[in-house]
Amino acid sequence: MYVELKNINKHFGSFKASDNVSFGIEKGKLIGLLGPSGSGKTTILRMIAGLENPDSGEIIIDGKVINNVPASKRGIGFVFQSYALFRYMTVFENIAFGLRVLKKSENEIKERVAELVKLIGLEGLESRYPSQLSGGQRQRVAFARALAPNPQLLLLDEPFAAIDAKVRQELRHWLKEMIAKLGVTSIFVTHDQDEAIEVADEIIITNKGRIDQIGKPLDVYSKPKTAFVASFFGQPNIFKDYNKFHSFDTVPNVEQAIVRPEFVKVTKKNEVQKFKNSAEEGVVTDIAFRGSGIEITVLVNGETLTARRSFDEAAIAVGEKVDVFIYRLFVTVGENAFLLENKSLREPVVVI
Amino acid sequence: MYKETTSSKIVKWTLIGISIAFVILMLLLPLITVIAEAFKQGFDIYAKAVSDNYTVKAIWLTLEATLLAVIINTVFGLSAAWSLTKFHFKGKKVLTTLIDLPVTVSPIIAGLIFLLTFGRQSPIYPLLQDWDIKIVFAVPGIVLATIFVTFPFISRELIPVLEARGNDEEEAAALMGAKGWTIFRKITFPHIKWAFLYGVVLCAARAMGEFGAVSVISGHLRGKTNTLPLHVEILFNEFQYVPAFAVSSILVMLAIAILIARSVIEYKGRKKI
Repeated sequence: MYVELKNINKHFGSFKASDNVSFGIEKGKLIGLLGPSGSGKTTILRMIAGLENPDSGEIIIDGKVINNVPASKRGIGFVFQSYALFRYMTVFENIAFGLRVLKKSENEIKERVAELVKLIGLEGLESRYPSQLSGGQRQRVAFARALAPNPQLLLLDEPFAAIDAKVRQELRHWLKEMIAKLGVTSIFVTHDQDEAIEVADEIIITNKGRIDQIGKPLDVYSKPKTAFVASFFGQPNIFKDYNKFHSFDTVPNVEQAIVRPEFVKVTKKNEVQKFKNSAEEGVVTDIAFRGSGIEITVLVNGETLTARRSFDEAAIAVGEKVDVFIYRLFVTVGENAFLLENKSLREPVVVI
Repeated sequence: MYKETTSSKIVKWTLIGISIAFVILMLLLPLITVIAEAFKQGFDIYAKAVSDNYTVKAIWLTLEATLLAVIINTVFGLSAAWSLTKFHFKGKKVLTTLIDLPVTVSPIIAGLIFLLTFGRQSPIYPLLQDWDIKIVFAVPGIVLATIFVTFPFISRELIPVLEARGNDEEEAAALMGAKGWTIFRKITFPHIKWAFLYGVVLCAARAMGEFGAVSVISGHLRGKTNTLPLHVEILFNEFQYVPAFAVSSILVMLAIAILIARSVIEYKGRKKI
């Protein structure tokens, strides 16, 4: 493990920002710290950087406990949410700052800055001030500035939060590529699940100061271990009594059932539904056009569920009676979550 | 631009008229009077009054007190503004409020405070005697009183500027290993430069014109503890109107110079941001 946190606790007054946080990160990985606001993800990042001190626990980088190493000596690159570019310095001087602190020669500085400016594709803008750059360009400069002294670890605090949607998409790919190319171990903080899934090699999910789950994006998404993780991803519909719906095993002490839109199939009465026997009748209450498809809200057995249909499928109208089939759902018992598959998926289809 | 109606035009010109009339009556007229009175008996008399030994000494004392007040309040103002915006500590609110005290308290009272603290009735007076330190009715007292009344000017200019920005840039620089002084010089100071200069100008203007507090503690020793404003009063009380106005005109000219400096700083500061 290149970066390791062991039993970290941190309070701000009576607020517990980190509750016995432990995890390890392999060298060269791009890690997403994902969680809602106030879940303690930025605090973890700031403690690794040395901008906050943990109340207890150990932070280990490259085999050394660095709790008592000051932030300036940790050799970590940090990209701030606001970028924190030095507004009275040009792009060149911003990127050169860390090198000047290290007392590099003027030639070395020129060379390194030119290299980085080329890497971020801002050639010709070296003498601009941050206020003369677009949001995306500023982000790139912040990235280059953090990388200039060759840090072994790069930390990014909500790197895409201040950028508009379209540029954000581009930058995500760009950043993932850059980090893969440079091979620098990186941790970024985000509250955006799509961002984490798209960019990270591995996701660490924080909730109320604790780590709920660590894993590859697909695993975290499809195999949530805790009730929080199950309900955090996707667009969950949550209800209490899942036994209203056909063909699910009964688990004792279930508190909630969580159904994501992709778990639900809505078919018109005249369409073929393989599992018609286990499907329920519902009434469409709302239809919304999303960029990529149609989102349908149906009322089934007194519960509201959301499902998606593609534009290719036959149109459905509000008020229409439809068949609703649930492939699978998550059930939660206490803090834990389990996946239940619809039993009819396992059984051979009985044709009557 | 929105279209002006007849009534809004009337309102506009009435308000402008009131302002201009007020400025003429309250500012321009007295200013012209001062200059006119000063030169009433010709330039020679004016030059003589201005180059009078006591006047020159008063000018030097005023400049000395002003310079010291600016220097000391710069150190204090920077540290106060820095500590109040960058750190959280108990009593922060109290300190913020206390900084404003000198502008809310009457200068006469400020003078009296120093008179009682360092004068003959004071318990520390024997101690000062032993060390041979003279404060009351001496230059140190005047400097102290001047510092006191100009105390908040620099910090008050800096606090909002520092508050509006946050610590991100300093943190970023510190993470890259920059030392405190480098961070201040390269990151913080460029940001507060214009507000700081503006504070210095205000502080200097107030220091030069201070009358009340200095009057109480000075003892009016001509050529020793007389600042320009005090000198004007003395001359005026002695019915020496031309010299009184001549000395006043020096203060007026200093004030105008400061106003110009202020405008330049404001203009440059705005252009930078």
